[in-house]
Amino acid sequence: MRPGSGWWLLVPALLLLLAAFVLPVGMMVPMSFRPYVPLVGITDGFTVRYYTRLLTDSYYLEIIGRTLALGFTVTLSTLVIGYPVAFFLARTRSRWRNWLTILIVFPLMLNLVVRTFGWIALLAQNGLVNQALHALGIVDSPVKLLFNFAGLLIAMTHIFLPFMVLVLIGAIQNIPRDVEDAARVLGASWGSTFCRVTLPLSTPGILSGSILVFVLSISALVTPRLLGGPTYQVMSTLIFDEFLQRLNWPAGSAQALLLTIMVLTLVYLSGRLARRTGAGA
Amino acid sequence: MSGAAPALSVRRLRKSFGAVVAVDEVSLDAAPGEFLSLLGPSGCGKSTLLRMIAGLVEPDGGQVVLAGEDITRVAVHRRNLGLVFQSYALFPHMTVLENVAFGLRRRGVAEPELGPRVERMLELVRLGPLGARYPRELSGGQQQRVALARALVTEPRVLLLDEPLSNLDALLRDEMRVELKRLQERLGTTMIFVTHDQAEALILSDRVVVMERGRVEQVGRPEEVYRRPATPFVARFLGRANFLTGTVAGSEADRTVVALEGGSLSIVAGPRPGLTAGQAVHAVIRQESIRLEPAGAGAEAGPNHFAATIVFHAFAGQAHHYVIQLANGRELEVAAPGAALPLARGARTFVAWRPDDVVLLPGGEPGPGGAR
Repeated sequence: MRPGSGWWLLVPALLLLLAAFVLPVGMMVPMSFRPYVPLVGITDGFTVRYYTRLLTDSYYLEIIGRTLALGFTVTLSTLVIGYPVAFFLARTRSRWRNWLTILIVFPLMLNLVVRTFGWIALLAQNGLVNQALHALGIVDSPVKLLFNFAGLLIAMTHIFLPFMVLVLIGAIQNIPRDVEDAARVLGASWGSTFCRVTLPLSTPGILSGSILVFVLSISALVTPRLLGGPTYQVMSTLIFDEFLQRLNWPAGSAQALLLTIMVLTLVYLSGRLARRTGAGA
Repeated sequence: MSGAAPALSVRRLRKSFGAVVAVDEVSLDAAPGEFLSLLGPSGCGKSTLLRMIAGLVEPDGGQVVLAGEDITRVAVHRRNLGLVFQSYALFPHMTVLENVAFGLRRRGVAEPELGPRVERMLELVRLGPLGARYPRELSGGQQQRVALARALVTEPRVLLLDEPLSNLDALLRDEMRVELKRLQERLGTTMIFVTHDQAEALILSDRVVVMERGRVEQVGRPEEVYRRPATPFVARFLGRANFLTGTVAGSEADRTVVALEGGSLSIVAGPRPGLTAGQAVHAVIRQESIRLEPAGAGAEAGPNHFAATIVFHAFAGQAHHYVIQLANGRELEVAAPGAALPLARGARTFVAWRPDDVVLLPGGEPGPGGAR
C-alpha cells in the first residue's frame, strides 16, 4: 500500500470487524454442519439436517416469516410516523427545534429493559391501554396486546422510531430549498411539489433509515423476549434458546447464518434500488 | 418608458426580517419586453424584492401588480412567472427533458403538444441532443441553460432571474450574457434580473435599478446611471470614480466653478442650475474621463488642466492604470487607453478633463473616503 493513501486509517476498525464479526461467523459455518446428539453433545461428522429442518419444518418457517413480517411492519410504521416529524424538525425555524430533537432522542437514553417493562405495564390485560379502551367503551373485553404480534409491533415501533427520525432529518435537510421553490414557481402546488420533488429526493434517507430499522428489529432480542414471552418466538429468541438452553450449537449456528444471509441480501438489494432510482444524485 | 401599461408593477413593497428592513417601500414598473436589472451590493434587498414578486416571500406591505392584476395574495404556483436561480435548482432526479417538461405538465399541456414544445425550447438554448441526460452529467453553463429553458417554455408573463450567471466562470459568464440578451430580444419576454455585478447590469439592461439598504437609489438607462449618477452611492458602485469635495464658487449659465477643499485649486463643471454659491458638493470624475497630457504636448491650457506627478502605474490590458498627484497633494485614479505609451512612476505630466464629464452631487456629508 502506498504510504499516505490513507488506507491505514481503516486498520483498527478492520481488525475489530475481523475479531468480532468475520471470525465468529466463519467459525459458525463448520459448526452448523456437525451433528448434535442429545445427552452426548456435538459429535464429529457431517449433516445438513439443521438447514433442511429450518427451511422445511413449518414451525421454523413460521418463525422466519414472523420475523420478516415484524421487520417490514416495524420499518413501515416508523417511516409513516417518523417522516412527518423529521420533515417538521428539518424545516422549522422555531427556537424549540433543538429541544424537540432532544425529545426524539431522549428514549435512547433510557435502558431498553426499562422501556420494555414500561410497555408491559401499558399493554397488559389490565394495563393502561386496555383500561382506557374499556373506559371509552371501544371494547367490552380486554384486547390481547402482549405475547403477540401487535404488542411487539407497538413497542418496537416506539423503540426504533428515533433512528428513523434522525436519519430522515439529515436527508431532508440536504434537499435544497431552491429546488422546491423552483417547482412551486413552475406551477406545482404544495402537495404536488412534495410528491414529485421532496419525497423522491428524500429516497436516500428513506432507504438508509429503513435498512437500519429493519436490521435492528429482526435482530432485536430483549424486546421480543420480554414482550413475546417464552412461546411467541422470533429468530433471535430462537437462536438464543438454541445456544443457551438447548445447548444445540449446530442448530443455533445454522439459524444465525440464515439470519445473517437474510440481512446481507436485503442490504444488497436496497443498495441496488438506491442506485437505480438515482437517489445518489 | 413607453406609454404601454407596465407588464409588472411593484407598489410600496415592504419587508423586514426582525429588526432588519430588507425592502423599504420600493415602487417600480417594468414595461412589456423590458430587461430591467436590480443592481446592488449583497444585502441590499434585491433578492428579497425578487422573491416577493415570485411569491416565495410574503411582503409586509405593498402590492405586486402583474399586467394590471393585483397578485400580492395569489399563490406562488398560480402566478405564471418564471424564476431562474443562481444555484440552477434543477430537479436532480429528472432528465433534462423531464425538467423542461415539468412546468408544462403542471399546466396540463397534453403530451402530443408537450413534446415538440420542449424540443423547440431545448434547440433554442442549444441543448438539443442532451435531453436524456441527468443534470449531474452537465456542465455549469449547460445546467443554467436547462434552467432557462425550463422557465421559458411555460411562456411566463415575466421571467425573474436571481444572479443566474454568478456561479459560472468568467469566460462562460460573458458567453451566457450574450446568449441571454439574444434570447430576450428574440422572445420579447419581460425580464427582471438581479445582480451585484455592475458590468453585467450595464451590458444587459434596458434600465438599471440601483438599490442600497432596501431602497431604490436611482432608476435609469445604463448610460444615465453611469454618466449621471444621482447619489454618491451610485457613483461609487458603478465603475471607478474620483470623489473631490469642495464648495460652489460660482454658478453661471454655461458652467459651474467649484473651489476644492484646501483652497488652492478650483475645477469647472457643466451648468448645474439649482446649486448656489457656497454650497458643499462632491465632484465625481470617472477615471477614464481624465486625459494624460505629457509635458509639452498641448500648450494651451483649457479648463481643468493641472500639473501632476505619476505616483503609481499598472498595466491591465485594456488600459493603463495610474494614480497621479495634483499640486495640492490630492491623488486621482486615471485609466488611459492600453495602446498609449506608459509613463513611468515619478514622471511629470499634465491632466485634463472636460467640464461635461464632471458630475456635481450636492452633499452636506462628504462621502466616505476619497477616490475609490
